[in-house]
Amino acid sequence: MQRDLHDLWGGAVLALLGLAVAVHSAVSYDFGTLRQMGPGFFPTLLGATLAVLGMIVAVPAWRRQGQAAPVALPEAAAVLGSIVLFGLTLDWLGLVAATALTAMIATLPSERRGWRWRVVLAGALALLVWLVFSVGLQMTIPVWPWSR
Amino acid sequence: MSAAEGLIFGLGVALQPTIMLYCLIGVVLGTLIGVLPGIGAMAAISLLLPITYYIPPEAALVMLAGVYYGSQYGGAVASILLRLPGTPQSVVTALDGYPMTQQGRAGVALFASMVSSFAGSILGIVVLVLLASWLSAVATSFGAADYAAMMVLGLVAASTIGAAAPAKALAMVVLGLILGCVGTDVNSGVQRLNFGSTQLMDGINLVALAMGLFGVAEVIGGIRGAERHGVPERVSFAQMMPGRDDARRMVGPTLRGTGVGSFFGALPGTGSTISSFLSYALERRIARRPERFGKGAIEGVAGPEAANNAAAITAFVPTLTLGIPGDPIMALMLGALVIHGVQPGPMMIEARPEMFWGLVVSFGIGNLLLLILNLPLIGIWVSILRIPFRWLYPAIIVFVCLGVYSVRGSTFDILAVAVIGAAGYALILASFSPALLLLGFVLGPLIETNLRRALLISRGDPMVFLERPIAAFFVCASVALLLLSAAQSFRRRGRRAA
Repeated sequence: MQRDLHDLWGGAVLALLGLAVAVHSAVSYDFGTLRQMGPGFFPTLLGATLAVLGMIVAVPAWRRQGQAAPVALPEAAAVLGSIVLFGLTLDWLGLVAATALTAMIATLPSERRGWRWRVVLAGALALLVWLVFSVGLQMTIPVWPWSR
Repeated sequence: MSAAEGLIFGLGVALQPTIMLYCLIGVVLGTLIGVLPGIGAMAAISLLLPITYYIPPEAALVMLAGVYYGSQYGGAVASILLRLPGTPQSVVTALDGYPMTQQGRAGVALFASMVSSFAGSILGIVVLVLLASWLSAVATSFGAADYAAMMVLGLVAASTIGAAAPAKALAMVVLGLILGCVGTDVNSGVQRLNFGSTQLMDGINLVALAMGLFGVAEVIGGIRGAERHGVPERVSFAQMMPGRDDARRMVGPTLRGTGVGSFFGALPGTGSTISSFLSYALERRIARRPERFGKGAIEGVAGPEAANNAAAITAFVPTLTLGIPGDPIMALMLGALVIHGVQPGPMMIEARPEMFWGLVVSFGIGNLLLLILNLPLIGIWVSILRIPFRWLYPAIIVFVCLGVYSVRGSTFDILAVAVIGAAGYALILASFSPALLLLGFVLGPLIETNLRRALLISRGDPMVFLERPIAAFFVCASVALLLLSAAQSFRRRGRRAA
């Protein structure tokens, strides 16, 4: 029997997170009184509530069957990876190269094989982005590796 | 200022060339995003948030609103032609719209959706004007306790009404509230929940949060589905003209849908998606031959489309007059206004008439533009649907990155978007609603401030929430909704076990 893992894990993670927030806020920040709510009042209350809600989600899921949703792992890896890459290379390689690189990585999981359309797309996107953000909106952003 | 004077004043604002331009940009982008399956209005508004830093606040509000109601028009296109709802609001439209396409009546279905959307919006504007002036007058007597209680009701309603799993929805709201606490506590100056990071001193960036949760997560989820959808047939303007019988059948559902949408749009917690479902249910119930529904009944297209557009307009009532967003999209709008230093509330119509009346009139202009764009130019939107998603999503990714970067020139924020996007995708996979998280995030600081103020005024007596009639009503309604949904899920569980 396949358990409802989504709710089980999701609920458990949220419950632990709530507990952590509640404990951390209660220990580190002043709770205050009802009349003079301290900075710890609201987060402690919320953390405790989240812990309870997480349990309400997780506990019944233990006894329930569920179906795992298909994870689009290659797509997720490519999209997230391309964003990280953009963040890391923007200051260093400049807008045009970072954009082209990002487009190449982002299109990796596409069902259409071949690299020619990817190069065309990367080039067109780099041009578009340069026109919109650098020329059009006048954003201060390094365009080329040497233009820092 | 009376409503007539207000509208004339608003006309002067909305007819300024810059405002008109941003209105046009908003509705065109909204339609485009709506047409494309996989990304919705939330993603589009998040994408445009950084641009609003560079333009005047009234232009920003007009543009973002245009994206929202424009996406409702566009959302119907993919729903009707491919049974792929472009937005959650147009899920119901596919029920009868797609069968009409299969019967070769795609043009008529599109016509019905566009015209009833337009009618719903225009009547929604009338309701908005009437309700907003009334509510602003009433709301001046609201105290901090009433506001806090009303926001809690809004959150409870948004997570329990129509939710498959209320506990999961509430958990998302509370998580959003917690994320809203991150950063400097306005009251004491204490740094909260930021793990000593100076990057989080001003709290989590709304733009990064919204882009990660919607832009990035929706793109990841959309790639696989979008690569496999079919190719729509071409539709021409001539095919759209309905016969006399179709036209007659559209009138009643459009009017009833507008009523449903105007009402539920203005209520906090229920928005245009719920309105469209309720309108469909209503039409099927009162139909003389309910068996026609699901097989291409034009009533099933006209009613929900009128409802979701009316609701998109009246949703601005609580947002602008009380400062309380009723749904996650309105939460983003409110966030955009706060970025510009505009705090909506009962005084807004008096204090910033150019924003309120300008926006109201821009609704009319925007919807007129949409009707013009969508009827004769429907062919263009259909051909956009023929562009494979793989040509579009790399651009979305780069725009997300640059949008976040533009806020304060920080590559740290781009990396943060990747982390938030990963979390958002995990939430979607486990069917937790990121939209409710955002609603909690925006409302969190407001609730805390009002709660604190209410308890300070009452000298720490929590009974203040039950002694003031308005607050007591909201508290009781919240408790009733919670009990009701708890009872419902127990009954559901019992049935499953049996």
